[in-house]
Amino acid sequence: MRDLASKIKNMPRSVLVLSIFSVLCFAASVVFVHHNESFYEDPIAKMVKTTQVDQTERTDMHGNKDQVFTQQILAELQNGEYKGQQIRLTNEHSASGAYDQEYSPGNKVFVSIDEDAAGTKELTGTIKNAKRDESMVLIAWVFIFILLAVGGKQGLFSVISLAVNAILLSYALDVYLVTSGTSLIWICGISAVLFTMISLLLVNGFNEKTYAAIIATILGTLSSLAVTYLVMWATAEKGLRYEEMQFLTRPPQIVFMAGVLIGSLGAVMDVAITMSSSIFGLYEKNHTIPIKALKTSGMDIGKDIMGTMTNILFFAYISGSIPMLILYLKNSTPLGYTLSMNLSLELARALAGGIGIVLTIPIGLYISIFFVNRKRART
Amino acid sequence: MNVLLCLAVILFILMILIGGKKGARSFFALFLNFGVLLLAAVIMTDPKANPVILTMLACTVISGINLFYINEVNNKTKPAFLSAMITIGVLLLFIVMVTETAMIQGFGEEETEELSIFSLYIGVDFVKIGASVIIMSTIGAITDVAISITSPMRELYHHQPSISRKELFRFGISIGRDILGTNTNTMFFAFFGGYIALLIWFKDLSYSFGEVVNSKLFSAEMITILCAGIGIALVIPITSWIAAYTFVKTREKRGTS
Repeated sequence: MRDLASKIKNMPRSVLVLSIFSVLCFAASVVFVHHNESFYEDPIAKMVKTTQVDQTERTDMHGNKDQVFTQQILAELQNGEYKGQQIRLTNEHSASGAYDQEYSPGNKVFVSIDEDAAGTKELTGTIKNAKRDESMVLIAWVFIFILLAVGGKQGLFSVISLAVNAILLSYALDVYLVTSGTSLIWICGISAVLFTMISLLLVNGFNEKTYAAIIATILGTLSSLAVTYLVMWATAEKGLRYEEMQFLTRPPQIVFMAGVLIGSLGAVMDVAITMSSSIFGLYEKNHTIPIKALKTSGMDIGKDIMGTMTNILFFAYISGSIPMLILYLKNSTPLGYTLSMNLSLELARALAGGIGIVLTIPIGLYISIFFVNRKRART
Repeated sequence: MNVLLCLAVILFILMILIGGKKGARSFFALFLNFGVLLLAAVIMTDPKANPVILTMLACTVISGINLFYINEVNNKTKPAFLSAMITIGVLLLFIVMVTETAMIQGFGEEETEELSIFSLYIGVDFVKIGASVIIMSTIGAITDVAISITSPMRELYHHQPSISRKELFRFGISIGRDILGTNTNTMFFAFFGGYIALLIWFKDLSYSFGEVVNSKLFSAEMITILCAGIGIALVIPITSWIAAYTFVKTREKRGTS
């Protein structure tokens, strides 16, 4: 304990203020999400008692065995006109839980109250959705604290850049939806430039290294989009299964291309800043270094990061399809059909992103060398 | 010609042009990884297989491919491999817990139309599958951070063989801090890109803020992003400690023999 006290005493003022501020924010937000029921219009019920009343074994037409349980739940309403009253709910859930959920006392859920039961002593209703904001806030804080503890200032910057970029993306989509006629690609293109400038300037500051990386990112993303577009045009989009693209309210091609653009942006930025900082680093160490040496070292660095960067994108895209793959396969769908239905768009996105990463290596290299030459001519 | 094939060929040519032999190896590693991932998904359809253990196994093979096949087996990839495995183990426990309390497993109500033709009672544990999805999406980044820390640490150790373990550890952390920002950024945008359709859907159907936050799909995707960030942050101290420990230990061994 004394150790901690002395540590706190030795902290720089700004760190201390920031730590106290974040702990206060943490406490306030956790208290808030646990008591925010009155802000919701839908009735929310907190479970008091759950009893399992029935259990049946079920076998579907494909021979899959599963257990289905029925729960009788007694819950207390937390908001609205029946606040404080008890409500009876029933919940059917399976052991696998693909679309359903076992509940236990303490869980909060959104419910709809049966009309005809209103006014009688005992309310009944059905469960609509679980209340997830409490756990979301908690996990967000775990994320923030771990990033701050490990990353210090850089951790803080990446939390800020995530928040700013998320708000910007949401705002850009709002603009897209309100202004009819603007193309999603244009909106995403403009936001991509903003994303790049915010993320890179925030972490690396205003200097030539950052400018070189920003230009390389924009050119790299553009060329990867151009290649993808050309390929899609030349092959008449054969092999892309848009019909399985989920949550569509807009033309699928546009949404897909916007996804390619935003999705590869982070990786391309990473490659661009790695290339420019290493080239500038070499130049700072030795101002007379020949261009040829810069080129060879730059290419060597590029070779090293190429494989891992494409891997990062690849796993981030493909893994999300695993539950759908399992569902298709368990429903006796042939493997080839399952793969082409579920993976074609993800694979295309990963490959397009990979092309962007690889193209950014020479682009970043030559732009950094251009900036180094300019700097050299001036001195 | 098929779009996927065409893109794959272009990527392959570019990787060879720029990366030479190592580029070709990186390209084949992508295919091997794809195979491992598919195999894991196929085995997960067996209700008797435990998805968590299966994920651990798949992650071991994938980290092995990423570290030992693309690079080589040496004293910089070995500590990186060990640290990646430890991080994944810790993260996996955390994520199983999170998936259960946040109830984000399986499919959301926005997907019902698509699911209506399927039987959903298929006997596999979707909580564990959900956790394994999150881990698998982060594995590429975790191995990347691990190797990016151990290789400069080894360079420093070569230049200053008498360096203390504490100093080595500090150096590792400072390297980690530099790559933390760009790596989390890469993951954020990769996920944002995938979620654009969902975000437009929420906005087009004018979901309220509360409805978006509490919906299963949005929570699941936010939690994936947050857990990816946590994984990238966690691997930094773990790798720095393990690498510092192994480098100093080999020096001591050499000193006594």
